[in-house]
Amino acid sequence: MRSQLWGLYAREVLRTFRNPFVLLITVVQPFMWLAFFGSGFAQYAKDLASVYGTSNYIEFLLPGVLSTSMLSVGMFGSMSTIQDKRFGFMKRILITPTSKEVIFLSKALGSATRGLIQIPIMVAAATAFGVTLAISPLGWAIWVLALLCTAIGFSSLFLAITARSTDWQTPGVVSNFITMPLMFSSAALYPSSGFPEWMKVISTYNPISYTATLGRDLVLHGQIDPLAFGVLALFAGLMLTLGYVVSARWLRVE
Amino acid sequence: MSDGVPAIEVHDLSKRYGSATNGVLALDHVNLSVARGCVFGLLGPNGAGKTTLIKVLTGISDITSGEGRVAGFDVRRESLEVRARIGWVAAEVILDDDFSAWENLWLQAKLQDLTNWEDRATHLLQYFSLLDRKDDKVSKFSTGMRKKLEISLALLHQPSVIFMDEPTIGLDVPTRRMLWDIITGVHKEFGVTVLLTTHYIEEADALCDQIAIIDKGRIIAQGSPSELKARVRADIVQLETSDTIDAATLRALPGVQDVWAQGDDWMIRVGSSEAFLPLLLRTVPTDHIRRISVEKPSLETVFLDLTGRRLGQEDEPMRDIRKFYAQMRRARS
Repeated sequence: MRSQLWGLYAREVLRTFRNPFVLLITVVQPFMWLAFFGSGFAQYAKDLASVYGTSNYIEFLLPGVLSTSMLSVGMFGSMSTIQDKRFGFMKRILITPTSKEVIFLSKALGSATRGLIQIPIMVAAATAFGVTLAISPLGWAIWVLALLCTAIGFSSLFLAITARSTDWQTPGVVSNFITMPLMFSSAALYPSSGFPEWMKVISTYNPISYTATLGRDLVLHGQIDPLAFGVLALFAGLMLTLGYVVSARWLRVE
Repeated sequence: MSDGVPAIEVHDLSKRYGSATNGVLALDHVNLSVARGCVFGLLGPNGAGKTTLIKVLTGISDITSGEGRVAGFDVRRESLEVRARIGWVAAEVILDDDFSAWENLWLQAKLQDLTNWEDRATHLLQYFSLLDRKDDKVSKFSTGMRKKLEISLALLHQPSVIFMDEPTIGLDVPTRRMLWDIITGVHKEFGVTVLLTTHYIEEADALCDQIAIIDKGRIIAQGSPSELKARVRADIVQLETSDTIDAATLRALPGVQDVWAQGDDWMIRVGSSEAFLPLLLRTVPTDHIRRISVEKPSLETVFLDLTGRRLGQEDEPMRDIRKFYAQMRRARS
């Protein structure tokens, strides 16, 4: 199983770099958030420094945008799985001693890796916008792990939902139902303290909130939030189990 | 796999798509035995169940009832064992186009959990004259080269059985010829049992030691090409004349088994056309004969004999479509 997982995972990662267009999309989208949304909002945020906890809105936004990008990589994992089904590559893989679970794991880890590629680029972009990051090595490690957990969790969720699908459009539709509500009902773009009660409830169960808060505590205060990290690790574990079980049983071949 | 165990054994195997009441019975109590080291052909029209049988034997589809064993292992209960011992060549070439030939082989080696596969891969690329292109992306390869690489992938882990689903479908004539040579060559060189499906009679005849004719999910005949042809111990003489000869005259000739009309022609089934033709020419004045054609026993006549249809008949709709487009073009101009 190790050999197959390594082969398929390497294929996912290599294909990302072979296909510059996908790479460009994954990087450009969060960069746009930082550049346009961040810059456009920066002036008003200065007046609300007490709310945001910083007078530099991009500093506030960076952890949030990184969190939501981990959410959107799931879609690409689903798309690449559907492409394999449609082009028959799934059959090529399965007519070898490779199980459906291993295919799932390789796709989930591949998508998560695509997510991680964005971290250095986004951090560099934020630095260019004047953000200074004073984070300890342990802090960095926790942050990256938290982002990895988020990416694995959502990739697994996407793969579980689209396990039976062979339609190109499904990942986009699923994405609309997952990405937008979770992004706006989280603490990614603004603090959740001002949310109405019903939205606070959603925010409490929204993993993106935890990823954003964990990153923000590190960026603004250099503090590690163990509770948020625990929640994210649990989320990743649950979703991995879900995707594993669903794929073994329901992953369609063609 | 011990000696004497067939490469493939199928007992009473059925495959149903959909529900028991509304579904389609794609395979209907199929029985097959493929001896080791032979090239076995499944011959039948499109939709006969050939691809379904491959899917079931390679573990891509579940079996509804019955049993299948490949390389000595049960395809249902010992699927991983089976899949470690088989190779598969798809009808449509399936490769990773973003990867080079070598990277495709690398991935296949990982999927088959192989170590020390490099020498074997190099040997295969050399055998198929692809070695100097090993680092090129396969998207740049011609169809023939892609087929060869796909066969290399199928052979990399030294499988006992290779499944080839319609290996020459959609290929031009020279590539098809090349592939026939490759299939016979691979079988000899690598000592592998080949199960191929085809709806080309001449392909089955040219390549296969054993053939099973499959129609509507059932195996309707099985044997070597010559055994199958021997089932139809007759030549068919088709005769077109300018005046009316009655059937009784023809039937009275020695060696005639059956006479029937097909359009304006007489179809005469005879034991031996060599013995019959001189007799015919003595009976019917030669200037009254417009055309005589003789059809020797072939897999085509075997299929015709068994099903009452010609194997190529499912191509009719295509001809209709071509006719339709020709009419459209004429109407427009």
